[in-house]
Amino acid sequence: MTPQVIEISFWQLLLALAFILGAQAVSFVYHLGLNRDISIGTLRTFLQLFLMGYALTFIFRVENLWLTLGIFAVMAISASFIVRGRVREREVTYMLPTFLTMFVTYLATAVFASGVIVGVSPWWEPRYFLPLGGMVIGNSMSAVAISLERLFGELRQQRGLLETRLCLGANYREASAEIFKNAVTAGMIPSINAMMGVGLVFIPGMMAGQVLAGADPLQAIRYQIVIMLMLVGSTTMTSILTVLIVRKRCFGSGEEPRLMQ
Amino acid sequence: MTPLLDIEHLGFSYAPEAPPLFEDLSLSVSRGDFILVRGASGCGKSTLLRLICRLVPRRSGRILFKGIAVENIPPAELRRTVIYVAQVPVMSAGSVKHNLLFPFSFAVNKGKEAPSDEQLSSMLERFYLQDIDLLREAGTLSVGQQQRLALMRAILLEPEILLLDEPTSSLDSESAAMVFRIVERLNSEQDRTIVTVTHSDYVPSGRVKPRSFRLENAQLRPA
Repeated sequence: MTPQVIEISFWQLLLALAFILGAQAVSFVYHLGLNRDISIGTLRTFLQLFLMGYALTFIFRVENLWLTLGIFAVMAISASFIVRGRVREREVTYMLPTFLTMFVTYLATAVFASGVIVGVSPWWEPRYFLPLGGMVIGNSMSAVAISLERLFGELRQQRGLLETRLCLGANYREASAEIFKNAVTAGMIPSINAMMGVGLVFIPGMMAGQVLAGADPLQAIRYQIVIMLMLVGSTTMTSILTVLIVRKRCFGSGEEPRLMQ
Repeated sequence: MTPLLDIEHLGFSYAPEAPPLFEDLSLSVSRGDFILVRGASGCGKSTLLRLICRLVPRRSGRILFKGIAVENIPPAELRRTVIYVAQVPVMSAGSVKHNLLFPFSFAVNKGKEAPSDEQLSSMLERFYLQDIDLLREAGTLSVGQQQRLALMRAILLEPEILLLDEPTSSLDSESAAMVFRIVERLNSEQDRTIVTVTHSDYVPSGRVKPRSFRLENAQLRPA
């Protein structure tokens, strides 16, 4: 049996706006103040995804290594800006190390996943490399933001204890070991929890998409397993590397804490 | 003979446009000295101590420990021998024993042997903490008891200089008297070098001969 994909027409797409109308009504009736955000979010969803659709169609047709890597770099840069917008720390500069760590880790993970595990040839084949890379970036971006928020927050909150340890001979790594552990763990927990619930509590986006597009569910789960494992690996690597580098920047040349309580 | 601690022409302000906390401030400390610095709140007493142990980066002038600029000594090494005890004692979550011994886990203190329970108990007596069980949660102690515990924790590492930042500011008069009795004993009996800043009306007993200074108008003047 050849599975048939039911195409969504323009009018059917507009019909989906009924969900948004419902959300707008709730926000209006209960004075949630979210009407503007819902409108902008809806508009951006349409605009960004249509743009991406056209861009991907073009990139899949051209099949150029540098164009593929360029798109990948743009995705990583965007992720760094989103992290910066969410973390909002002004006393320590962390944008460049965060971007470099994210870019290198994402690239290594995406290359390994597409080129070695899935066995795509060439490894940068955009149809595989970009969706895989996008998923790594999307998930690890949240992990990095959570880790950095936790790192900065605890370094401020626990400044007294941090100084006490430093004053008794601890180096900055020893003084902040507990904070480091908490920050990295906080970033990793969502992807570990996702492994616990996958298939039981929810059907992940990629698998749902494949199944809806007519793929064999048994084939779709294999991809999903690769994705889940890849995400744990990439969130671990990005969280650890980013927190390691940024933590160093939170201390001065005399290893004194730079963040005020 | 090289002084143990030498502060030369120190200048400092927290921001370029702020009035200077110190201008051309100098102080020489020899082994066994008891330096007492008084001054009004906000005149920079705590900052002076924090500059010595590099918790605050120096701007101008020099601070030398045994003739070596403090910037040339690894921070952990410096802070192991020149220990700053903060105004408000901070205890780590855990027992009294844990709080006394955790500094021995730091790499720079690895060569030092951690004291036994018997040694700790006998030391607790000397710090007027004889009723405190080693396994008691340190966070449940009064501020006065925590302050004495913080002092004891610093002494266990055998520092060459003890920097005490308003050690009695948050204590009642009885606890404050105990802390100063301990500090005087450390100086007179163990020859510990003490630099303490205070704005309390502490009057030293006859067994110590402090060199007293007053910090005002960004200068340190003999009192």
